Amino acid sequence: MKFFLRDQFPLIFIYLIQIIVITSIYWLDGYHNWTISLYAALLSSCLLIIYLLIRYITNRSFYQRLEKPLTSLDDFTNNTHQTPLTEGLQQLLTSQFRHYKTDLHHYKYRLEGHIQFINQWVHQMKTPLSVIHLIIQDEDDSRFTAIGDELDRLKKGLETVLYTARLDSFEHDLYVESLDLETVVRSVTSNQKRLFIRKRIFPSFQFKEDVIVASDEKWLSFVLTQLVTNAIRYTVEENRKLHFHSYKRGIHTVLEIRDEGIGIPQSDIPRVFDAYFTGENGRNFQESTGMGLYLVKQICEKLGHRIEIESIVNEGTMIRLIF
Amino acid sequence: MFKILIIEDDKQLIHLLEKHLNKFGFQTQSVDDFAKVRTQFEQYEPHLVLLDVNLPKFDGYYWCRQIRSISICPILFISARDSKMDQVMALENGADDYITKPFDYEIVIAKINSQLRRAYGSYANAHNGRTTTVEGLTLDVERLSLSLDGQEIELSHTEAKIVDELMKKAERVVSRDRLLEKIWDDQAFVDDNTLNVYITRVRKKLASLHIIDALQTIRGQGYRLMPNWRKNE
Repeated sequence: MKFFLRDQFPLIFIYLIQIIVITSIYWLDGYHNWTISLYAALLSSCLLIIYLLIRYITNRSFYQRLEKPLTSLDDFTNNTHQTPLTEGLQQLLTSQFRHYKTDLHHYKYRLEGHIQFINQWVHQMKTPLSVIHLIIQDEDDSRFTAIGDELDRLKKGLETVLYTARLDSFEHDLYVESLDLETVVRSVTSNQKRLFIRKRIFPSFQFKEDVIVASDEKWLSFVLTQLVTNAIRYTVEENRKLHFHSYKRGIHTVLEIRDEGIGIPQSDIPRVFDAYFTGENGRNFQESTGMGLYLVKQICEKLGHRIEIESIVNEGTMIRLIF
Repeated sequence: MFKILIIEDDKQLIHLLEKHLNKFGFQTQSVDDFAKVRTQFEQYEPHLVLLDVNLPKFDGYYWCRQIRSISICPILFISARDSKMDQVMALENGADDYITKPFDYEIVIAKINSQLRRAYGSYANAHNGRTTTVEGLTLDVERLSLSLDGQEIELSHTEAKIVDELMKKAERVVSRDRLLEKIWDDQAFVDDNTLNVYITRVRKKLASLHIIDALQTIRGQGYRLMPNWRKNE
């Protein structure tokens, strides 16, 4: 109704001016019978109101739709066209919508193709990695150790690519089950044993018996791997420990991962979960992509786990996962 | 001797796998024509199949079903795909286990052995556990025993792993990192100080077999086992 009145306002305005103009012309001409003038004005106003009413009633659904915002793309296909104006507009919108949708489909298709390509590519890269891994496995020479380290980095890089690409289709790739938290943590640290040993950092576990959490094993392992490799990378001194501690906080299970590393400056903490944010430590340490913690945060949100971070420069960083 | 058929399209990977499996006493063959996997299977009649998922022409699931229609031999998948869905697919199509790339030799060997044991009973007569021998000193990894000239002592799990690694690389230096890596498993890991303790224990056990000064410390590098016990006599 409001929209309709606003739309017709110029007409009503012009009409009022017209009445005043015509009445004053008669008045100035010497015709001083104001009751007749009033009667004429009243009569023509009635005509206007009838016109407006008819107009409103025929186009009512159209005006109502204009006032109501769309909730989704498919919302506007329900058409109730009555007058040439609404029908024309509907046709225009429909054809516009069709073009728009074609474009959208086109990009969606291309994006899906791209993701598929990346997935396939990562998997193809894994065979050469396996071969190199097998070749150097029984060698114990500093050169092969160096190759092994680089191999680990490649592997981690590929994993990150894979998980980033998968993040969009998260729902299709989710399998939530009851997991024993300690088992998951131990298998993650065990997978990173080369890194631990190379940096002379060893994990320390403090678990209450049988901590069971509901989560997806693969995504959770990925999150833990990111956190563990970060913690090791930013611990510069040797013979430090990486502490894993789990406890109950109310109904929630908390997993605390505390390192004794260089810590994160207070000013950087609010932004560590942003994509591509590397902060001060990123500038001092190479190969920070700023993607690790961003992915961690995204995945945790999707899994429904909360994440907290605390850090003191030169003393270490503590990350809490709250299940 | 157990026969293993490897269905994989990467030549280098086949080569490495075959070399390693042969070392462990398995007979191997790989598929060269991916249109005739089934025929080759029938000709070779393997005891176990290692199967990749991504293959030319048809995928591994297809060949797994084909093999299943004529045989119940254990089938182990080796694949780069690591999603739950792929593993479920593999098992649904008749596979017995799934190994993801990149993998360790140890995992492949362990899984093969466990499948063979399950399918053909104890493999003791076909394949006498795994032993390593250096100059008459014999380590039985399965039974955790070390013997020399009829004398036998028992080792703990971790000690056996250390001795195994040192014996495999006899006369060469084994770095501390490598020993740490070898004895680290899911449930237990050993840090620097604990490794020192274990080395001391291994020395004592060797001494009880009258092997003295064979386990040498190479400063800054690691340890070396010198088979010098024969010369001392």
